[in-house]
Amino acid sequence: MIEIRNVSKWYGKFQVLTDCSSKVEKGEVVVVCGPSGSGKSTLIKCVNGLEPFLEGEILVNGTQVGDPKTDLPKLRSSVGMVFQHFELFPHMTVIENLTVGQVKVLGRTKEEARRKGADLLDRVGLKEFAGKHPGQLSGGQQQRVAIGRALAMDPICMLFDEPTSALDPEMIGEVLSVMQDLAREGMTMMVVTHEMGFARNVAHRVIFMDNGRIVEDTTKQEFFGTPRSERAQLFLSRILRH
Amino acid sequence: MAGGIVFGTLLAMGRLANLGPFSRVATAYVNLMRSIPLVMVILWFFLVIPLITGRPVGAERSALITFTAFEAAYYSEIMRAGIQSVSRGQVMAGQALGMTYWQSMGLVILPQAFRNMLPILLTQTIILFQDTSLVYAIGAKDLLKAAEIAGKNHNRPMEMYVFAAVIYFILCFTLSTMVKSLQRKIAIVR
Ligand SMILES: Nc1ncnc2c1ncn2[C@@H]1O[C@H](COP(=O)(O)OP(=O)(O)OP(=O)(O)O)[C@@H](O)[C@H]1O
Ligand SMILES: [Mg+2]
Repeated sequence: MIEIRNVSKWYGKFQVLTDCSSKVEKGEVVVVCGPSGSGKSTLIKCVNGLEPFLEGEILVNGTQVGDPKTDLPKLRSSVGMVFQHFELFPHMTVIENLTVGQVKVLGRTKEEARRKGADLLDRVGLKEFAGKHPGQLSGGQQQRVAIGRALAMDPICMLFDEPTSALDPEMIGEVLSVMQDLAREGMTMMVVTHEMGFARNVAHRVIFMDNGRIVEDTTKQEFFGTPRSERAQLFLSRILRH
Repeated sequence: MAGGIVFGTLLAMGRLANLGPFSRVATAYVNLMRSIPLVMVILWFFLVIPLITGRPVGAERSALITFTAFEAAYYSEIMRAGIQSVSRGQVMAGQALGMTYWQSMGLVILPQAFRNMLPILLTQTIILFQDTSLVYAIGAKDLLKAAEIAGKNHNRPMEMYVFAAVIYFILCFTLSTMVKSLQRKIAIVR
């Protein structure tokens, strides 16, 4: 589904990504973790072409992301993305957030989009909030709407960039549970997160990044059993102590 | 005024879009317009265009065009700040949904930029409206000129000037009230 081959990227002289390769199969849930500044966000944004990369190639469902001939907007419309800071459109109501992409990008009718939007709101447990503005919702509720907005496009896979790290602790659970349901239904997911509980519960594989490199790329069992790199071990011990 | 906002927004986008020569032309245009007094622009335009085209332009039409061109420069600076006030994350969110550049501009960025900048746009518009009295210089008919003519006709110049001032006040006041209620209606709920 997602294939990353030898990707390198620079910000000026600073190399953010060094020779990153990995693969996410259809229906697989892959957790990406690593210390701050290790390039996790950058890597995940390369997957749907939000960040350009200089070397290597990324294939999403067989389409070359880096190819200038690729219709990036079309590709992105089939890849859902959820951001750390939600990024709901503050000038629209919740239901408008869920329909705007369906109508303007996918060309669905307004009624069709509304029906789908309402269904998804119901699914993330926020049916009554359709007419509210994002600013009137709590962080956890906003993030659930953001997941609904991405799902409204019927994506073939979903990317999450630290979806719970801007949330108060008591709201993390509600977002994770929506994500867990999604994972159990067989959605292909690439998730940047430090929530090791989530990784243990639903991930198939774990990628550990450090200094722009993919240091470990193993099954969940191996990763939590015996991480091979010292950095990963140190990172895990720090995270799990909290 | 509407023309000024549209043209100004295009200029602002042009300056921000990194379109090479176009951005430079837009920047040069904005800087030029902003460093020349409005009266001079009005006068020059009125005097120079007939020289180039060989045909006189009506004073009113000339005034209208000059105003649009001049105000666009100011509105463009306001809209530029407005566009930059919308976070990079919002742009990415629009793109991530599959929006094209123009769709994310029209659906995500400009609506927020416009809302954020509404108070400043209003101030500028009121200044613009009061500045219409400057077209006096080329003899085009604006409110002030009309008042003067009416004053002469009825032999009551003082009263007519006062009347004109009252009209200016009422119009500006109404405008600002209208914008305030508009602002409440479309405000971004935070
Ligand atoms: N636009 C940019 N220009 C220059 N450097 C950047 C830019 N964006 C990110 N960086 C740098 O690239 C590195 C990787 O950033 P990235 O956001 O991918 O890290 P991350 O692993 O997601 O970290 P975090 O856990 O803090 O989100 C960081 O050192 C960061 O300072
Ligand atoms: Mg990050």
